[in-house]
Amino acid sequence: MQTKWISKKDFQKLVSKWVKKHAVYAPVHNGKELAFQAVEKPEQIVLDGYLNTRYPAKSLFLPQSEVLMSYDGILHSVENAEKEKIILGVRSCDVRAMRLLDHALIDDQNPDEYWKRKRESAIILTLGCNEPEETCFCTAVGGSPFSTNESDGLLIDMGDAYCIYLLTEKGKVLFKDLPDTDEAQLKSVKKMTKQVEKDMPALLPKLELHDALMASFETDFWKDVSQSCLGCGVCTFLCPSCFCFDIVDETVRKERVRNWDTCMFRTYSLEASGHNPRPTKAERTRQRVMHKFAYWVDLIDEIGCTGCGRCVKYCPVNIDIREIAAAALQQDFEGMKK
Amino acid sequence: MASTRNIKIQTEAKRLLQEKAVDVVIGFKKGTLPYKMQPCFIHDAKEVEQFELNGLCSNNLAVYLNHRPKGEKTAIVVRGCESRAVQALVLENRHARENLYLIGVPCIGILDIQKLQADEQDPILAVEEEGDQVRVTYRSGEKTFKRIEILHDACLHCNHPQPMHADMVIDEPGYFEDKPFDKSYLGSFRKLSIKERNARFKEEAERCIRCYACREACPMCTCEECFVNHSRPQWTDSTTNPAGQQAWHIIRAFHQAGRCVSCGACERACPMNIKMTYLTDLLNQDIFTEYGFEPGADEALLPPFLTLGDDQVKFTDQQEDSHAD
Repeated sequence: MQTKWISKKDFQKLVSKWVKKHAVYAPVHNGKELAFQAVEKPEQIVLDGYLNTRYPAKSLFLPQSEVLMSYDGILHSVENAEKEKIILGVRSCDVRAMRLLDHALIDDQNPDEYWKRKRESAIILTLGCNEPEETCFCTAVGGSPFSTNESDGLLIDMGDAYCIYLLTEKGKVLFKDLPDTDEAQLKSVKKMTKQVEKDMPALLPKLELHDALMASFETDFWKDVSQSCLGCGVCTFLCPSCFCFDIVDETVRKERVRNWDTCMFRTYSLEASGHNPRPTKAERTRQRVMHKFAYWVDLIDEIGCTGCGRCVKYCPVNIDIREIAAAALQQDFEGMKK
Repeated sequence: MASTRNIKIQTEAKRLLQEKAVDVVIGFKKGTLPYKMQPCFIHDAKEVEQFELNGLCSNNLAVYLNHRPKGEKTAIVVRGCESRAVQALVLENRHARENLYLIGVPCIGILDIQKLQADEQDPILAVEEEGDQVRVTYRSGEKTFKRIEILHDACLHCNHPQPMHADMVIDEPGYFEDKPFDKSYLGSFRKLSIKERNARFKEEAERCIRCYACREACPMCTCEECFVNHSRPQWTDSTTNPAGQQAWHIIRAFHQAGRCVSCGACERACPMNIKMTYLTDLLNQDIFTEYGFEPGADEALLPPFLTLGDDQVKFTDQQEDSHAD
């Protein structure tokens, strides 16, 4: 794999060039929190010492509210062309989520054109995590703070410089005139990344957890786990890999929009007849956890949680998905059924 | 090391469960993060040692009464705001008072994580409370605060930190005394021009991601179906556009007039740090001025909007600025 080396000073100059040609999105402090925003000047970008944005990067591709079409006697489809954009400084967990969402939204007979167009026009540059937060657990769910998957380039912060792994042709073009990393530099990168990974949580036994959850389905485990759940949408709306949406006709504006929806809402599974197949918090919490840790495993043999820790950090009642997974592995569900 | 306050809560919970006076005791226990506590539900007297109460208990436990099975005998650890929420719910006929047992605790205030975490990129590793002092260990180092500096705004503006209508009160001092109704902090907001008030409202509301954590964290949001979920007719814009965000925040507030107990649980649950208690406090101030009513404070007095009939409506168009101080 080709790697390049660039001082942070030169990197800023490089970004100045990008900004002239492309739309560049990067973590910016908006006065309240860090969020991915279109950047005008490289000085706005916060890459040093940033943990993660609160709002997940998926919103750049699947906006929380998106107009699908408008109508005014006749239908108008929305603007098709997407400008090429560079998304700089996305964390590995959010990048891995893109691949999960690709699976949900592209990998079948009827690709979601809105998602696909935005994905195809984006160049993603991952920023490795030298100091993951205490709520981070990407390594437990099959990821890595320095993942090279699904991205066009991986930046690793080496103090006053970045080491850049070039991962696709698109990525190579952006960094084409830079010097290659020398052997000593590469060695120091590998030493650092290995140490960071080592200090992170151990890999969960994916299949064992899958089987435990499957056995838990009809037990009171979920009643216990969900007792404190308030039924809000924080965990799913801030989740990088949740993708459920609801389509609404906003008749006053004459627009058809899709909004994020969440299995944690009672109304999500409420049917027109009044029947609700997930009538209580127990079934809804079970759905959220099992989608991530059992159904994704059935579908693509991967855990569908990327370990970003946002649901852990922002849950108003501290429901911790790591704790639920650990408890499920401990529990004797066969004994519980009796 | 358990504080005497915690031991006293545990002892009372144990007694209630052992004597089978209640089916469940609702309180708080340690969370999985150094700055979070978890609501917990204990059915077995052997497990009461989990109960703990400190400044990090950010929820209003009364919200769970709305989730419990009907007819369950429930004991609940209540601070001032929680006790008023229970009382307001009882008066609205949401719960039968005889099924509830309130373990009152004089309030020590709730710490505001936003104030603790001024730099969000510097994680909190530990929080230790010692009387008036709160020592916080960040990744970058240690810092000691006075409790008052990092209290949630709702606690700073609280008029009744002492539990009311409780079945027993834990004999440990709180940090504040009760005082007469006072929401004078709103004076500066009321003095603003309509344009300025609107700008302030929009700045807050338009960060909303419609997750409804504020609604779900609120003990007084008890509707079977919330107006935002109603589809025929559809009352509000469904999106995260300003129209939808503003509609949610303004109508939510109006549904709380004379009902909100000013606990601030909505703000503490909000993942986007949106301020919203100022809206409900404004309405509560109006209700107090017009009717002398404070939600949850009185044993029997019904909230004005429960008793007001068509023949009693005396609103006039001229009342617009009667509170301009």
